[in-house]
Amino acid sequence: MSYKNVHSFSLGNYDSGINVSRADAGNDMPAIETDSLSKRFGDVVAVDDVSLQIDDGEVFGFLGPNGAGKSTTINMLLDFARPTDGSATVLGYDVREESQEIRKRVGVLPEGFDLYERLSGRKHIEFAQRAKGANGDPEEYLARVGLDGDAANRNAGGYSKGMKQRLALGMALVGDPELLIMDEPSSGLDPTGIQEMQEIVRSEAERGTTVFFSSHILDHVEEVCDRIGVMNEGELVAIGTLDELHAQIGGDAHLELSVDDVSDRTVETLTDIDGISGATARNGHLDVSCSRSAAKAKAINHVEAAGTTVLDIQVEDQDIDDLFAELTGNGAKEEAETIAEEVPA
Amino acid sequence: MSIATVARKDFEDAVRSQMLWSLTGLLVGLIVLVYGAIWYFEGNLPSSDLASILALPLQVIVPLAALIVGYMAIVGERRSGSIKILLSLPPTREDVVAGKLLGRSGVVAVAVLAAFVVATLLTGLLFGEVPVSGLAGLAVATLLLGFAFVGIAVGFSAAVASRGRAMAGVVGTYLVFLGFWDVLVGGIYRVVTGSFPASPITPDSPIEAWALALQRLNPMEAYGVVASSVLDQQVFALTLQFPIGINVFGDAPLEDIVVGEVPFYLSEWFSALVLLAWILLPVLVGYLRFRTADLG
Repeated sequence: MSYKNVHSFSLGNYDSGINVSRADAGNDMPAIETDSLSKRFGDVVAVDDVSLQIDDGEVFGFLGPNGAGKSTTINMLLDFARPTDGSATVLGYDVREESQEIRKRVGVLPEGFDLYERLSGRKHIEFAQRAKGANGDPEEYLARVGLDGDAANRNAGGYSKGMKQRLALGMALVGDPELLIMDEPSSGLDPTGIQEMQEIVRSEAERGTTVFFSSHILDHVEEVCDRIGVMNEGELVAIGTLDELHAQIGGDAHLELSVDDVSDRTVETLTDIDGISGATARNGHLDVSCSRSAAKAKAINHVEAAGTTVLDIQVEDQDIDDLFAELTGNGAKEEAETIAEEVPA
Repeated sequence: MSIATVARKDFEDAVRSQMLWSLTGLLVGLIVLVYGAIWYFEGNLPSSDLASILALPLQVIVPLAALIVGYMAIVGERRSGSIKILLSLPPTREDVVAGKLLGRSGVVAVAVLAAFVVATLLTGLLFGEVPVSGLAGLAVATLLLGFAFVGIAVGFSAAVASRGRAMAGVVGTYLVFLGFWDVLVGGIYRVVTGSFPASPITPDSPIEAWALALQRLNPMEAYGVVASSVLDQQVFALTLQFPIGINVFGDAPLEDIVVGEVPFYLSEWFSALVLLAWILLPVLVGYLRFRTADLG
């Protein structure tokens, strides 16, 4: 991939050493970069000072409850909405000034869209091909999203939500974009559809496509993403790989053992085991903190090998859902699950 | 390129909806009705008079039809969310507005041209001689009138964020041009000169050129001027006339009813320019609003 020189020097600020042409960065140039991006609607701050960088070839999950500012952020990347502050580039192009260059190279699955109900699935793909100046057989794209055969010739007005979602994805794939931006791609899809969507994301990633997608449902993100950014109330509250997020939040799993008797030495040696970060014993209760879940079984084996009888086991896992709930405040997780259940299967 | 892509899709969409066919049916039906009535009641009317009679119903129906065709062009896509699909692709907002203007104008053009083809056939069948150049000229003028109102409708459609506002805009515009333009011009005349214009305007009581020019800014009046010119026969604008407005009766030449010299802006070609301006200016204003609109 090569990028054309999109930022030429202007004489007015030639002395600013920071104003280096983006093209110089070559392939290291981030696919998406936002700098203090903000959007206010009157008094409401929808997106507050979001700075993030998504690298070329990365699969990035943009996670957060509904109303967290994910869609507004994406809308600003696509020039559907104008930032009130800050700036952003996509593939090195300014989102405000060079939106068309971006949309020539990016495939988009927007949120809250509708199709042209009187045009068939094939017509939609053909329209996207004409608009992007891309050749190829429309059947190929329809097949990739599972809309071949009879469905391709029917008018999109008769499509289910899931079929509309697939057709829009098919349109996004037209012209083999360098970057896919998908806003809530799994909404309206049944579990099979979600799996297929994840399959498409994986295969696109294998082709070298950068994927940026948002979701309010964690399961859909963690399956396929290299990195995750978590939005809450307009702010980017966390960003990193799953492991990094775990480390950042300090989420250890807790193993609570009811034991008949345990020696101090046994407790002390527990912490020698890899993956166990702490252990305390009190009144027949042994509390073990595990930074890795595989360490739990080792802990139990260790205690039993020392001659202690384990009467009861309680495990308190710090799983990814808790992590999400912690980042987005109480209730966010429940909300997400409620919404997930509303999606027709 | 992108404009053509948008226009083509928009036209295809109109073909598949009932929009194109119902509009064509409406105009063709109107022609058949008018010709049938003339033939039945006025069997030996000279065929050269036919075209000027035809111009009367056309100037009421074509603007209305064009407004209906155009007013949902952009705001409809904003309300449904299909604008996000459209603007996720390379076309710019400029391309979308221009493409919509072209696509919807195409719909009106097909309907108007079909109506004139039928009119030409019926003229030949029922009245013998066909005034080809007159009909062709009237067809061009009617196309301009239709495009002007498509421009107004697409302009509103681009400028506002709800269907209701777009509808209010085009209905209001139609009523003003059809019914209240004269009152407005009369009111302005009163403010400027201290009295209402003489009524009717005759060689004995002429009108100031600027006031007549204001009246002719109304696209329906401009159509009357252009149609009269191409047909070489007086075609009256079918707008409501009020005693306080500018009422020109009879076919006294312009030199006789205008105070002083006849300025260039009362020439017939200037009225054609007025129609062209009504195609482009509302769209431009609508685009400027649409360009910075949030589409969330």
